[in-house]
Order: sequence, then structure tokens, then C-alpha cells
Amino acid sequence: MRTDDATLTRLMAMSQKGDKRAYATLLFEARNWLKSYLRRRVAPGHLEDVVQEVLVSLHTKLASYDPSRPFLPWLAAIARYRWVDHLRKLSRSDDAAVETEVIAESDEPAITARLSLERLFTMLPENQARVIEMVKVEGYSIAEASQASGQSESLVKVNIHRGIKRLAAIIEKE
Amino acid sequence: MKTMNGKTDTLISGLVDQLEPVRPFRFSHGMTLALTGIGLAALLVMLLFAVRPDVVSGQPQGIFLLASGLFLLLGIACAASVVMMASPRIGSGRNGWGWALAMAGVLPISALILALIRGSAAWQESEPSHGVYCLGYAILFGLITGAALVLWLRRGAPTSPERAGLLTGIAAGSAGIFAFSFACPIDSVMHIGLWHGLPVTLSAIIGRFAVPPLIRW
Repeated sequence: MRTDDATLTRLMAMSQKGDKRAYATLLFEARNWLKSYLRRRVAPGHLEDVVQEVLVSLHTKLASYDPSRPFLPWLAAIARYRWVDHLRKLSRSDDAAVETEVIAESDEPAITARLSLERLFTMLPENQARVIEMVKVEGYSIAEASQASGQSESLVKVNIHRGIKRLAAIIEKE
Repeated sequence: MKTMNGKTDTLISGLVDQLEPVRPFRFSHGMTLALTGIGLAALLVMLLFAVRPDVVSGQPQGIFLLASGLFLLLGIACAASVVMMASPRIGSGRNGWGWALAMAGVLPISALILALIRGSAAWQESEPSHGVYCLGYAILFGLITGAALVLWLRRGAPTSPERAGLLTGIAAGSAGIFAFSFACPIDSVMHIGLWHGLPVTLSAIIGRFAVPPLIRW
């Protein structure tokens, strides 16, 4: 059973006071939530890394959480920041080209639409969302994405770059 | 999947071991810091420069109250947005600064209209020889508020560094010109619109490009 936001908020407030047991429970719950949250937008081979990066960010930025506010929107904001960071890092490396694992179906229907990463993709133009999804999430090479999408290879690269930039801008506006 | 959980479990154990009590961010703490920066800048101006005679005599000019009030409001609105940005969350509206910017924008827009009507005479009317001091000192004194906000952002977790940088710059420039307006004796709309609006614009540009590298995490 998934822990509700009110409980997580309480655990976070206790963690900020130095309660290690509450903190351990919170981090395990956060890990599970993050795995569900990121699963459909991060390739399985990178999921652990991104989840761990978010957990480390949670730890280093513990003080930035205001305990009078809900916990999950705070965690989701940090997760999205790290996710875009992850996409940027992939853009700078050729790592994505060798990433061929199939994305698992999400079993997390309860995440609110407001926090959803899926919703961010719907806010991108179709040609950008499609190639980001193919190359950065599904592990297509640039050439494969070019063939599948009907866009030239250079246009695929441009659309990935513009799409990621746009994702960052959308996140900024929220 | 067990391996994944195993590695993350080890990480979690390490993080739990390192846990120390922290002082949670509060909006009021951030605003206190920002307002202290604005107040300190105004105090320094009053100590280092000759304060406007109308202010000293307790009979301030209307244009002074109006312009400095608008810049103060803009500085506070932007500082409030910056303070909130240090505590990330999805779905929070932080657009109050936009309205304050629109209100303060009336001054430079008025100056522009006057310049179009009066032509080159408007430039002289703006008193550029004094204006450059307003520009320079406003940016300088604005650094106090700017530094306070950068400090706050560095402690926090801003998820939109570029916007945070831009707003930090506007807040700093507005605070700086609010402070220096106590030492500026010129009350013309041309002067205020141009030379008091310019530091806000320049600080915004500086903030947009200089602040993000300082606050990324």
C-alpha cells in the first residue's frame, strides 16, 4: 500500500528534526514513488541512477522543504529538475544510442495529472516529443529515429535539443 | 530489480547515517533577509550621501513618493518570488512580480512618450550628467539585496535558475534605485523614467546571466 502525502509530509518534518527512523522510512517510500514516477520517462538502464540522484538531492536540499506544505509536489519538482538534467547529460553523450531496453508499462495510475511527466510531453510539439521519446527513452539511434519519424538526422538532433530546452522552460513556468 | 534496490538501499543507509537536523526554509526568513538587504542599502545611502532636502524636512515631493514606492514594490514582489523559488514545488503561481513590473514600467514608458514628443530636449531634461551616478550607484547598492537573494537561493533548491537569476537582478536593481532615490534630487519624469529605470533593466540582464551558474545544484 502506498503511503499518503500527509504521512510523507509528517515523516519529512520529523526528518528535518534529525529523526533517523522517520528519515529511513521516508527515503524508502520516496524511492518507490520515484521509481513509479520516472519509470515511463527514463530507460530501465538509467532508472536507478536517476532515482539515486533525486534521493541525494532530497538529502542535500532537505532544508529547502517547507513542512507547512505538501511533500509530493516538492519531491516531484526535484525529480523533474533531475530528469531534465539527465536528458541534457544524455544529449551530451552518445549513451542513448546504446540504450535499447524496452520501457516497462507504468503501474502508477494514481499520480496526479498536475505532477505528471507524461503531461509535459503532451505540451511539446509532436515532432519534438516523438524523437525525444524514441532516442532518449526507447533507445533508438539517431539514424533509426530519423527513419521512423521521417525527419532528417540533423532535424532529429535539432528537435531533441529544442524539445529538451522547451521542457526545461515549461518546468520553469510552473 | 533486486540489484537495483540493493544499491539504492545502500545509498539510503548512507544518507540516513549522515542525517543532521536542519532548519526548514520559511518564507518569512527569506523575506527578512531580502528586506534587510533593501533597508541596509537605503541606510548606507543616507549615511554616505546628502539626503534630499524635501525628505529631510518631512515634506517629500509627490513624484519622489510615487517613483520610489513603485520601485520598492517591484523589488519586494521580485524578492518574494525569488524566496519562493528556493523551495521548489509544482503548481505554485509566482507571477505577482509581473504586475509590479508592469506598474513600475509606467515610468520608463512615460519617459519614452515624452522623448518622442519633445525630441532632443528630452535628453537634456533627463540630466544625464547626474543620471550616470543614479545608474552606477543603484547597481552598486542593489548588490546587497542581490547577494542576500543569491545566498538564499544557494541554500535552497531552485528548479528554474534562469528565471530566478532574472528576478534576482530585477529585485536588486529596484532595491538599489529605491535606496539611491533618497540621494537623487531630480524629480523630472524624464530623469526617473530613464536613469532610474535603466539600473533595473541592466541588473536584470546581469542577474539573468551571472546568477544561474552560482545557484545551480
